[in-house]
Amino acid sequence: MADLLRHAWLVARKDLYLEFRSRTAITSALVFTALVLVVFEHGRDPTAVAISALAPSILWVTFSFAGMLTLNRAFNAELENQALDGLLLAPISRTSLFWGKLVANLAFVAVVQVTGLLLFTLFFNVPVWRVWAPLVVVMIMATVGFIAVGTLFSAMVVRTRFAELMLPVLLLPFLLPPLIAAAEVTTKLFAGRPLSEVSGWLRLLAAYDVAFITLATLLFPATVTE
Amino acid sequence: MTPDQMPQTGGYMTAAYIVAAVILVAYTIVLWRRGSAKTKS
Amino acid sequence: MTLVQRGRWVTVFALLLLGGIYVRALVYTPVEIHQGLAQKIFYVHVPSAWSAMLAMGLLGVASILFLIIKDMRYDRFAAASAEVGTAFSLVMLTTGPLWARPIWGAWWTWDARLTLTLMMFFMFLGYLVLRGAVTDPGLRARYSAVLGICGLVLLPFIHLSVYLFRTLHPMPIVLKPSAPSAPPAMVITLLSSFAVFTLLYIGFVMQRYAIGERTDDA
Repeated sequence: MADLLRHAWLVARKDLYLEFRSRTAITSALVFTALVLVVFEHGRDPTAVAISALAPSILWVTFSFAGMLTLNRAFNAELENQALDGLLLAPISRTSLFWGKLVANLAFVAVVQVTGLLLFTLFFNVPVWRVWAPLVVVMIMATVGFIAVGTLFSAMVVRTRFAELMLPVLLLPFLLPPLIAAAEVTTKLFAGRPLSEVSGWLRLLAAYDVAFITLATLLFPATVTE
Repeated sequence: MTPDQMPQTGGYMTAAYIVAAVILVAYTIVLWRRGSAKTKS
Repeated sequence: MTLVQRGRWVTVFALLLLGGIYVRALVYTPVEIHQGLAQKIFYVHVPSAWSAMLAMGLLGVASILFLIIKDMRYDRFAAASAEVGTAFSLVMLTTGPLWARPIWGAWWTWDARLTLTLMMFFMFLGYLVLRGAVTDPGLRARYSAVLGICGLVLLPFIHLSVYLFRTLHPMPIVLKPSAPSAPPAMVITLLSSFAVFTLLYIGFVMQRYAIGERTDDA
């Protein structure tokens, strides 16, 4: 078990270093997030609908798009120089490889989401700071399961044509449960309701995360075996 | 509700029955033709 | 008789029976007074939904079996089930709105069942798109199986989340199939239609499977 985690961390660290040096994927995702928020701001009629009604949807749609963008980079680095084969030949288990990729993806998505949340607070004047702790909890819970499936799928689509288009097509149905749950919880949080009122949704998110992290871990070897 | 108060929705019924039949028959024909293809397609 | 030929016989037989169902539903089944004739769409819409869900379920099971046993026949069956499921989903998604429009006043709503069936349709499409994008048969089989299993596990979550969100699909009082209040004639028509649509599923899959065998382009 210790080896598993250590190897996973090695894989994650490699990806994090790579990205830290070039910063291309993170930058594009951040710029994209800002643009989406700007479009939402100008696309709405402030007199027609109060921002509090739209805010959760705007926030989560933005997070979803940004999440899918960061997933695109997941296995891209391994496309060149047969690096994926090199990684597969390394004396680490497939599970370590998957968890390493997953951790790296989560780190990237976290950066984009935190920045997105700050920009959102800036642009839309929604009182986020009052509920920042439960909001962060929801963000984590809604993201982890979805990114697990996304990491699994990106391993598959990286070798197909139209990979960037294929990933959202396959992934969108998997976005629905966490998205609905997250939007519901966020709405209640912004309305000042206590977390206990949304415990059902949080249980759903937890079940989704457990189910899909487990499933993705079990299925990942099938996507890279020869 | 009396029979003469019943909503007149027959048009929708006809449309649905036709659409369903068209889709199923069309798929049957597609499969039939692909099953008859002599060479690997 | 080859599999293709047997599949054709089954399909044609099922289509003839479907014609019989049409006659029975349209002429010999009583009209529901609150909805008018549109209620009869029920006898086509619900069984097609059943066939689509059967296709999805069997696709999932075949995917699991393929990954464990590694027999390409399971993959071939899954591919056949996906394509057939897409056809039945199409019937379901077209007849549904034609029913909804006069009854609910809207072509579409985002209640639990509708959203679930729409997502199921997208999953079928995604499955077929993925298969189309991978050329190596072994790789394609494994990728498809992974997607099939993930899709199957997803369905209960979608249903649960959207159900918690809102529910609008027909209330049991009027349209629950097994409600004792429904006249026997309606129940018989519905159950017969279920049987015919299942037979049609079988005929389609037999043909599609045989085509997959022949071209090895499943």
